[in-house]
Amino acid sequence: MPTKAEIYDKIRTALVDALGVDEDEVKPEATLIGDLGAESIDFLDIVFRLEKAFDIKVPRAELFPEDILTSAQYVKDGKVTPEGIVKLRERMPFADLSKFEKNPSVKEFPNQLTVQDMCRYVESKVTVTG
Amino acid sequence: MRFTLLDKILQLEPGVKLVGLKNLSMAEEYLADHFPGFPVMPGVMMLEAMTQAAAWLIRATDDFAHSSVLLKEARHVKYASFVEPGQALTVNVTMVEHGPRLSQLKAQGTVDGSIAVAARLVIERSNLADTNPSRAIADDVVKAKMRELFALLYSPVSGAAASA
Amino acid sequence: MRWIWIDKFIEFDSGRRARAIKNITLAEDHLHDHFPGYPVMPNSLIVEGLAQTGGLLVGEVNQFQEKVILAKIPRVEFFFPAVPGDQLTYTATIEHLDENGGRVTATSHVGDRLQAEAEIVFVHLRDGERNKRLFEPKNFVFTMKLLGVFDVGRSRDGGRIAEPPGLAQIKAASNESGLLG
Repeated sequence: MPTKAEIYDKIRTALVDALGVDEDEVKPEATLIGDLGAESIDFLDIVFRLEKAFDIKVPRAELFPEDILTSAQYVKDGKVTPEGIVKLRERMPFADLSKFEKNPSVKEFPNQLTVQDMCRYVESKVTVTG
Repeated sequence: MRFTLLDKILQLEPGVKLVGLKNLSMAEEYLADHFPGFPVMPGVMMLEAMTQAAAWLIRATDDFAHSSVLLKEARHVKYASFVEPGQALTVNVTMVEHGPRLSQLKAQGTVDGSIAVAARLVIERSNLADTNPSRAIADDVVKAKMRELFALLYSPVSGAAASA
Repeated sequence: MRWIWIDKFIEFDSGRRARAIKNITLAEDHLHDHFPGYPVMPNSLIVEGLAQTGGLLVGEVNQFQEKVILAKIPRVEFFFPAVPGDQLTYTATIEHLDENGGRVTATSHVGDRLQAEAEIVFVHLRDGERNKRLFEPKNFVFTMKLLGVFDVGRSRDGGRIAEPPGLAQIKAASNESGLLG
């Protein structure tokens, strides 16, 4: 049962190995796509490493809520509706969506995922000690 | 199967960068297997095209001082899209570090401007005679052949002709 | 020429690990370009051998119903060049596999010497416009049979790997159309 610090370390290792960034580039507020240069194939690589490192399952839809982001019900004119935001919060309680809410453009959604979001996600999946 | 994976060198700045091109054609027989009914350039051939571009840059930078210029390491090789027969892969390599034995480069392959593949490469160079002096003749043969091939691939227009 | 960069499987532990060999011979045309005067097995083709060993291992888990594509090589390193007369032994181990794809670690040896090691990420290509035309299971299965998988293979419960159902039919159909050869 890992501590928060251990979780952060393992996530940092996974990001360094998958993305080729330096350890000190991996900061909690760094965005995976914008700051660390992750591309879609990298996400799969990262997910595989996290699943192995923490012995968890990472269902795609929990990190990449494509169904919400492509639904006519929750998206209007390329922006997520307030109803859609509620759905996103339900699906991704670990993510800090406050910035996204100010400009909820679907295209921008992947760009706001941070290292901190990933840490909170893993924390929600394992039993954290300390 | 022939194994020259660059058809033309378009730009060359020794020590800095090289841009080259690989045409993909249905005439390339291995495409029948990769894949049956859906011919596309194998990912490792895209890697080889980038490796050969890096090798040419290194050979040109060192004036063909080494016979053996080989891929030592590749990192973060990512494939974004396929290359199909009739298309050309434009390969772009940039020298990051050029040590006495190892060189680090950034490499990218694009099709019609879109990225198809990217990688970080480490290339190692040496001569056979380094470990076995009796092989110096083989080194000379390889270097001569590589110079010949290079002349085929790279024929820059001279300043005078370009302004004519 | 065929795009087959392994000669034979010598071990096939379904869902876990596979080992294949590749003989390097001057009979291979490409060695005469790489390089004239110093034939050496291109390291990119060694990557392909590792990817084929790993790809067939991954594909077999779902009886080749999923199309397995090379998506990313996080890292590969080579320790010495392999030359004609060498026999390479490729070992691929599944580190992770799910419905999206898988991650494999692989090594290449000449005898006991470690010649290369790699990490390879495969994706399962989602069904879409081209994927229906993308290689059919039977092409994979042929190659497997050619490579003696079914002779050495062991399934997850330890029994011998059964030929995928319908292999006999596929072979019969291909015999008719002259594909087998």
